[in-house]
Amino acid sequence: MPKNQNKGRRQKEEVELSGIHERRKTELKELERRTKEIAESRKALMNILEDAEIARVEAEGERDKTLAIIENFPEGLLFFDQKNELSSTNPKARDFFDLERENILGKDLETLREIPSLLPLMEILGEELEVYQKELKLTERLVLKVSTITIMSAEEKVGTLVILRDITREKIIERLKTEFVSIAAHQLRTPLSAIKWTLRMILDGDLGEISQEQRKFLEGTYGSNERMIKLINDLLNVTRIEEGRFLYNIQSRDIIEIAEGVIDPMKEIAKRKKVKFSFKTPKREIPKVKVDSEKVSLAIQNLIDNAIHYTKSGGEVKVSLRYSKKEKQILFSVKDSGIGIPKEQQKRVFTRFFRAANAIRAETEGTGLGLFIARNVIEAHQGKIWFESVEGKGTTFYFTLPT
Amino acid sequence: MAKKILIIEDEEIIYSLLQKKLTEEGYQISIAKDGVEGMEKMKEAKPDLVLLDIVMPRKGGFEVMEEMRGDESLKGIPIIVISNSGQPVELDRAKELGAKDWLIKTEFDPLEVLEKVKKQIG
Repeated sequence: MPKNQNKGRRQKEEVELSGIHERRKTELKELERRTKEIAESRKALMNILEDAEIARVEAEGERDKTLAIIENFPEGLLFFDQKNELSSTNPKARDFFDLERENILGKDLETLREIPSLLPLMEILGEELEVYQKELKLTERLVLKVSTITIMSAEEKVGTLVILRDITREKIIERLKTEFVSIAAHQLRTPLSAIKWTLRMILDGDLGEISQEQRKFLEGTYGSNERMIKLINDLLNVTRIEEGRFLYNIQSRDIIEIAEGVIDPMKEIAKRKKVKFSFKTPKREIPKVKVDSEKVSLAIQNLIDNAIHYTKSGGEVKVSLRYSKKEKQILFSVKDSGIGIPKEQQKRVFTRFFRAANAIRAETEGTGLGLFIARNVIEAHQGKIWFESVEGKGTTFYFTLPT
Repeated sequence: MAKKILIIEDEEIIYSLLQKKLTEEGYQISIAKDGVEGMEKMKEAKPDLVLLDIVMPRKGGFEVMEEMRGDESLKGIPIIVISNSGQPVELDRAKELGAKDWLIKTEFDPLEVLEKVKKQIG
């Protein structure tokens, strides 16, 4: 082989070797990089797994906590899924109806209706588990308040939660209180009627002549006694509202006639107090209203009574009755130029026993029941009641009654 | 002849005042202080009208009305209930048992009782 030829081959081999070497180097680097990447990925994966484990433990903890809350919740809970199938219950709910979990889970409304102990509840829940709040008397010793709530998740209905609250104790206390007030009021009225009758007959001269001075004092006493009677009647009325049997005798009546019956005696009171009084009625005939006239009279009386009481001598009380054919309703208003109701107390005007601070200053007497009763009466007739008032300028009360 | 009224009422002031008011108007008044005495006097005197209280010792007004309803000779006698209670349930029960009228003592006075009496028996 010629020397030159050998040299050339070696050079070529050297070049090739160096090429291989370079490639190896690159490959090695690549391998190192990949290994590092894998190690990093593995680390990341381990981290993820670790996080997932932590999350799982946390979620389990949360789930157990939620379950414990549901299990130990003092109110009965029944959860129905989107298909209205019972998907979970708590022991309290099962206790109320003496049920075993296995017998009811996953059952639809129709199947649940076949369980005798559940029937009363299923009946008030209806076909569609409508949103509801109602009392359910299961036995003399068990009264429940049933409420249903639609459960939403991301604006989608996921089911309905039925909440059962044991209100037996509350009902018993309520009944005892009502009975107590009722009996107390009756017992209190007995001596008051004896006083009323005696004073009336003395004042009417049935028991002999009396002097002017005696008459003046006896009239004052008669007035005090009447106020006491009114106070007790108000208390009785409040109890009756709470008993839910306030509206009793619904008849088709002429509202003007009812109003006049109340207003005529009140004109006298206004006159004595030197408060200008007027009553405006529509000229044309208006349709009759279906009302319990005794109760509507009471509402009107309470409104006018307040207007006169809280208006100073020289002031004015304007009562008006209008009829809107379009809205098919009577609008009654009592406007006074009295002390008004302080703005910050206006929200509480219709609450029981509420009396505005300036009202207490102006007049120490008053039960704070008049407007509470008026609102209940009007609302029981499907009417509305509201007012406008500026402290120091006066108040106007309005109510509507459907015709 | 004077019309006879039997007042069945346990409270002295109330029956005394009624007696005075009604006697002055020319009625002949007898008084019973509870339902038992009331039934006895009713059978004996056959009054033209009964003024009847509800809450009384021994026998209450509702029992008196029930007994009167079951007795042929008494069931035609008009009854005006005078009570301290204005409970609608009681009012209804009284109507059902045949009371002609009802008045609550705190809402009425003897003069108005007289008017109601006149409306029934003149």
